[in-house]
Amino acid sequence: MFFTLIRLQYLKSVRSTSFAKSLLTNILLGFLILVLLGYVVAIGIFLKFILEKVVPGQDHIALVNSFVIYFFLGEFVYRYFLQKLPVLELESLLHLPIGKSWIIQMLLTRSFISPLSIIAILLVLPFSIQVISEKYGAFGAVSWVATIALVSWTLHWFMLWFKQRFEDSLIGLVVVFAVLVLGAGSSYMGWFNLGEMIKPLFDYALVSPVPLIGMLLVMCGAYFLCYRFYVSHAYLEDLAEEEDVRFVNQSIGFFSRFGLAGELANVEWKLIIRHKKSRTFLMMTAFFLLYGLIFYNNPAYTTEDGFSFLFIFVGVFITGIFMIQYGQLFLSWNSANFDFYLNQKGGIEALVKGKYLLFLSISLICFLASVPYVYFGWHFLLIHLATFLFNVGILVHVIIYLALWKPKPMDLNKGAMFNYEGVGAAQFLIIIPMMLGPYLIYVPFSLLFNDYIGLLALSIAGILGIFGFKRLSQININRVMTNRYEISSSFRQEL
Amino acid sequence: MIQLSQLKKQYKEVVVLDVPTLEIPSGECFGLVGNNGAGKTTLFRVMLDLVRATAGSVTINGADVSKTEDWKAKTRAFLDEHMLLAYLTPDEYFETLRVIYGLSVADLKLHLDKFTEFFNDEVLGKKKYIRDLSKGNLKKVGIAAALMGNPDVVFLDEPFENLDPSSQIRLKKLILKEKENSSLTFLISSHDLNHVTEICERIVLLEKGKVIRDLRDRSEMMAELEAYFTG
Repeated sequence: MFFTLIRLQYLKSVRSTSFAKSLLTNILLGFLILVLLGYVVAIGIFLKFILEKVVPGQDHIALVNSFVIYFFLGEFVYRYFLQKLPVLELESLLHLPIGKSWIIQMLLTRSFISPLSIIAILLVLPFSIQVISEKYGAFGAVSWVATIALVSWTLHWFMLWFKQRFEDSLIGLVVVFAVLVLGAGSSYMGWFNLGEMIKPLFDYALVSPVPLIGMLLVMCGAYFLCYRFYVSHAYLEDLAEEEDVRFVNQSIGFFSRFGLAGELANVEWKLIIRHKKSRTFLMMTAFFLLYGLIFYNNPAYTTEDGFSFLFIFVGVFITGIFMIQYGQLFLSWNSANFDFYLNQKGGIEALVKGKYLLFLSISLICFLASVPYVYFGWHFLLIHLATFLFNVGILVHVIIYLALWKPKPMDLNKGAMFNYEGVGAAQFLIIIPMMLGPYLIYVPFSLLFNDYIGLLALSIAGILGIFGFKRLSQININRVMTNRYEISSSFRQEL
Repeated sequence: MIQLSQLKKQYKEVVVLDVPTLEIPSGECFGLVGNNGAGKTTLFRVMLDLVRATAGSVTINGADVSKTEDWKAKTRAFLDEHMLLAYLTPDEYFETLRVIYGLSVADLKLHLDKFTEFFNDEVLGKKKYIRDLSKGNLKKVGIAAALMGNPDVVFLDEPFENLDPSSQIRLKKLILKEKENSSLTFLISSHDLNHVTEICERIVLLEKGKVIRDLRDRSEMMAELEAYFTG
């Protein structure tokens, strides 16, 4: 029985249309995961040398033990965002004469097979072999690594329970935020030293099996908590999260001045608010407004005269992140009801124009919201103005043009993190004009004259684009019209 | 009104639709029947320019559907849920269509009032997205939307499917009433022979993409169809 279920899981992933169609995406994604795991291993191997270099002469084991808790706080946060819940497969199995406990155990076990489960081991194992085994022998090394791995796995089960229990609710976000504050507060602000409080547990693990056994029990407890919760909630009504009609009358009055296109922009706005994936994209837009804080005040990017080249890129991101992220999946957002637009007179044109309207409005809002960066210097306002004009004048057309290359359907109710539905080669190619485009105009003028003339050139290019808006947007509208059969037939396929 | 000539749809080698000629006059209620895979939905999709015809053409009021868009202003269709904006509530959806079709608020109210009985208090005024409605209620929304704004032609794919018996009867009444009041052309595909013969004065039988019967005589329709489907 167990093997039948495993085989079904395997067939499901291999035969899913998105797997076959976006092989390239999968290869790239797999490569990305390998690279990231490679970094983890590298950090693990060089941890000893890094510590010798940075804090020579101290007790490195004690130091690592007092910092382990911060790793777990970090793990808590990234697990919250990355970990997927295994409930989606439940629907097709629930009606079969297989015990619920079997199904749940299988789903939980499967969720455990993930790169996330080995990160902790990869990170601490080299250090344990290099340093700990020397001082505490093989037993100490194994017991220490196992204790850390068990904490990480406890987090795994805990998170499965936590996410299903509190997902999309305020409590969940508050807890994650509290964890972040706890981590930052204890070290930065010096309220209390969390590291020193937890340190004895791992110190003790070096010499005694008690913490190991203790953590094993805790992990079993977490697994049991998770298992109990899932078994008692293995009903369709509990799994399908029914959303309340939130924001029900949230139309944006301003859009209604633009006729049919404005109406469809309003409809699109509702689409964004009412689907999980698009909501995440919108939240990221707000988040990226803070992106400048990393760079603008950083001494590494301060130059003698003018400003760093990099700031152009930051400016493009801050004012255009929504059109870049949301726009790269341009029509895929409407994949479930593309026939609706096809069936209206002028529907496609209005749909594309409505999206333009939305992108330009949100970009403008981002620009206005970024004005406070003036605090770091007036030139940031100029940078943002120039990149904003470039974004709305030129980049938006380029992104949409590329996004219209073989759009794919996607399910908007799945989360956005590591969800590559709808993503194809075109979405990767978009990065090129986004990175190079602004520099192509900026760099020659900046080198020939100075940085501010470069900004001026960027702005003028953007303004020219704004004047040519009708023509440029017509290119994209025509592209949808000519490819309408291919697009609509690919959207009608099952995901 | 609607003319099909030399229409063909081919997927690689397989011909799924082959209609040399077919004419549907204005005001006719055109019923389309056939077994699964006969090509009913494909025919509707080609006629609505949602799928590209391999050869031949469809004209509505003299305009080739693949060349212009003006015919869309007076043509409505409900084939499947892809034609709905499922993330809106029914009220919001009708409101959106009202703006698209350029109707007044009073027009919309007048239109929806016709469906009071059909909706059975389960569609309007509910805080529920279309995607969360039951299949029957979803169909009701689609049908009511397809009749909005004084269309000339309405395409309905399996309108009786998923409806409860009383809703099926109400829908029949609605369609007959619409036909009486205006010169509306209906194109209806259905597996329910009783309903479709009752409302349509012409039934076309499709088999493997070909028109094999074109029945206009009401008295013989039922017998002939039954003879075909019992094999």
